[in-house]
Amino acid sequence: MKLGAFHLPLPTRAFLVLAGLFLFLKLLRPVIPGSVIVLYMGFVIAGIVIHVTLRDERMREFADFFIAESAGEPAAIRFQRWGLLAVIPLVIGWSVYDALRPTYAPPVEIFQRHPTVGEEILGSIKVPDWAAEPAKWNPEAIARGKVLYEANCAVCHGEKLDGQGPAAEGFRYPIRPANFQDAGTIAQLTLPYVYWRLTVGGIQNQFNSAMPRWTTPADDPEASTLHSYDFTADEAWKVIMYLYRATGYEPRR
Amino acid sequence: MGSTPAWVNRIVGVLVAGCLLVVAQCVYAQGLPAGPEYRSVLGMDSRLAVWIAAQLHLMFAAFVLAVPMFALFIEYLGWRVAKTNPREAQRYDWLAHEMARLLPAAYSLTAITGALLGFLLFTAYPKFMAYMTGIFGPTFVVYPLFFVAETLCLYLWYYTWDRLQGERKWLHLWLGLLLNVFGTIVMFIADAWATFMMTPAGVDQQGALISLYDAVWNPGWMPLNIHRLVANITFGALLCSAYAAYRFLIATREQDRALYDWMGYTGNLIALFTMLFLPFAGYYFGFELFAFSATYGVTLMGGVLSWLFIIQAIVIAVLFIGAAYYSWLGLLRIPGSEAQQRWSPVFNVALISGFVVWATPHTMAASIEESTGGFHPILGALGVMAPKMIAVTLVLVVLYASYLLYRRAGRETTVAWHRQGTTIQWSLVGLTALAITALGVYGYFAPAEVRIKTSIWQIIVLMIGIVATFALDLVLLRGARTVAEVRWGTLPRRGHYVLIMLAFVIVWLMALMGYARSGVRLNWHVYGILQDTSPGAGLPSLGEVAVIITAITFIFFVMLAAAFAISGLAKAPDAASGGDGRAPALAPSGEGA
Ligand code: HEC
Repeated sequence: MKLGAFHLPLPTRAFLVLAGLFLFLKLLRPVIPGSVIVLYMGFVIAGIVIHVTLRDERMREFADFFIAESAGEPAAIRFQRWGLLAVIPLVIGWSVYDALRPTYAPPVEIFQRHPTVGEEILGSIKVPDWAAEPAKWNPEAIARGKVLYEANCAVCHGEKLDGQGPAAEGFRYPIRPANFQDAGTIAQLTLPYVYWRLTVGGIQNQFNSAMPRWTTPADDPEASTLHSYDFTADEAWKVIMYLYRATGYEPRR
Repeated sequence: MGSTPAWVNRIVGVLVAGCLLVVAQCVYAQGLPAGPEYRSVLGMDSRLAVWIAAQLHLMFAAFVLAVPMFALFIEYLGWRVAKTNPREAQRYDWLAHEMARLLPAAYSLTAITGALLGFLLFTAYPKFMAYMTGIFGPTFVVYPLFFVAETLCLYLWYYTWDRLQGERKWLHLWLGLLLNVFGTIVMFIADAWATFMMTPAGVDQQGALISLYDAVWNPGWMPLNIHRLVANITFGALLCSAYAAYRFLIATREQDRALYDWMGYTGNLIALFTMLFLPFAGYYFGFELFAFSATYGVTLMGGVLSWLFIIQAIVIAVLFIGAAYYSWLGLLRIPGSEAQQRWSPVFNVALISGFVVWATPHTMAASIEESTGGFHPILGALGVMAPKMIAVTLVLVVLYASYLLYRRAGRETTVAWHRQGTTIQWSLVGLTALAITALGVYGYFAPAEVRIKTSIWQIIVLMIGIVATFALDLVLLRGARTVAEVRWGTLPRRGHYVLIMLAFVIVWLMALMGYARSGVRLNWHVYGILQDTSPGAGLPSLGEVAVIITAITFIFFVMLAAAFAISGLAKAPDAASGGDGRAPALAPSGEGA
């Protein structure tokens, strides 16, 4: 129990672990979303509870620190006790304040990596023969795809297909333009799915994503689609072929 | 024990419920397809009603299927030592019987919820059910037969327990075996229907039947069978543990506490053991689904249902952490186990760190200030398959290592080379962990196909490591002196509360995954063949899902508790006349005293 010998009371140690890890997570850059920090801290708290309650002596030591005040104890101990007791209401108070204070940020989005589409729609998309087999893709078609990509997509998805186009930063919320070099995007997707994303599956609603829809809806020519150019079916397939060839991924089957 | 009229009544009840189901099938199978495609039942939301009925039915069915499996095994263990160690045998027999305690009540509930489910399906979805009847007609006939056989075996097995003791025990064991065989067949048949809806086979493009055999043995069938068998045992064992914990907490006698403590421990051990296999059974099922349709892969892993798996990862972590905590707490039962207890903090830190990685989401909900646009360099690196596989496999190593240590508590090795042996043993454990990490790191940088293979190798390495070190352990502990007995009944109460919590968690998890499995079809009754065109065909929001599965969890426990109370009441006069407190099953006394 002597401070000089670096023997801090158990509750103080628990608090230091908790606070230290929390600060560490908070200070990491780029910022880790608050929801993830909460998740991690949940695990840390579980670990601390397990540690303290695994032995009866430790449980007693923990409780005694708060309730068994003795007359001759050093001031440092008293200071820690009251400090810790103050921390709990302060944290609760802060989180209430934090939850209630007005902010002007858009709501936190639970974003889905790939919007979900029914099999009845995907099943009706027929891949033309010349686009179906990656081994037989014709270099001219891919070259044409590259031109189309650079003219229409690179501004967001980047020249290197890494999601770092000049406009990308502006669309970082709720989700930035896909990085096709990452294994989590086109490498996971089938040809009909990517085609659907390009033609009618873009722009789900204003808040969800900036990915345009590259065709004008037949029933609503005035709809907001963000797109600059109407792709024909052939052109869409050529861009898709370029995406795969340029990243080296194969479409999923 | 058990007054004859009560159990006859119950069998009759179950059979009537079963017959209702069959009659419903026959009636609807004939009178169609002239009627409407969908009908509303009492103005309810059909999809919701079917969802709740199906999930409840599945959980009770899982319970009655799983419990006889391990209860029979325990009964068998007892029978094997009946000659050499009658006290031990008696104790095992008590345990098996105690685990079977909840079966009759749960079985009635299985039948009732099943009849309700059948009724709802045939009434609300006449066209769909007519189609299913057209495909699976013959199985609809065979199913009730096995169901009746299962019913008879279950009640015979349960109610002849005391009569078929001693010389005639083998007959009882046979009954139990038959029960398990019939139960498994019943589940396999029902699985065929469920998986046909997900991964239909044996039919042409229009959905006309070509081969019933292929329709039954569709790509998802075996994976689901295996997954359910294993998961059911985890589920049943945890429920038995919770029951034991409850009995422990209300027990007033030393000796009851000892017995129920031991029962809770055994249940938890069974659950932990089967839980080791669950992730892999799950992956196997997933691979088959993805192979069947890439859309499933997108929907489950990147689309609407992907959030369920993040929640699932967290809930699984809670399960494992709770179970591990309970086991570590068990050292308190063994006097003089301080040497082992010193290691607990190390295991604790390893466990928590492992699950932090395991539950790391690849993308996460973020506010605009925090948003890096869905990908975060740290989360992105941790939140993919390879690090998670390393983490979860290492967690298994840690759990196993703590179990090895547990085996040492209160015992003293007597073999001459125990020092070297122990060193080799722990080096092997370390080597296993190292190899698993190396494989995982290699897989991280390798293309996806290779990564799947390395993850399989990680499991194989883990298994080899476990088998090798455990074999060594058996030799090392041969002739070991017991210096301190396990003092059953001395586990702190908090351990028992954890067991009860685990039961809630597993039920919730099961409901969550049941939703994922069924919801992944989106708006199809039979994927790609028969579309759901009813007004309720969409998926609810994640928040709504959470509310519904929580409601299902509560309904489940309320029903179970009610059934338990009723059957407990039925027993009250019995025990009172016995005069010694409560259940007569406690005859093998002296345990732990
Ligand atoms: C205004 C910026 C912008 C432009 C221009 C743009 N995209 Fe996108 N794209 C996005 C954003 C943001 C996402 C990620 C969110 C999403 O999936 O909706 C995305 C996602 C995608 C996806 C889905 C990836 C996945 O994993 O599901 C594909 C495919 C795609 N874009 C292709 C293209 C192609 C091809 C073009 C050019 C024809 C293009 N995009 C032009 C912003 C843009």
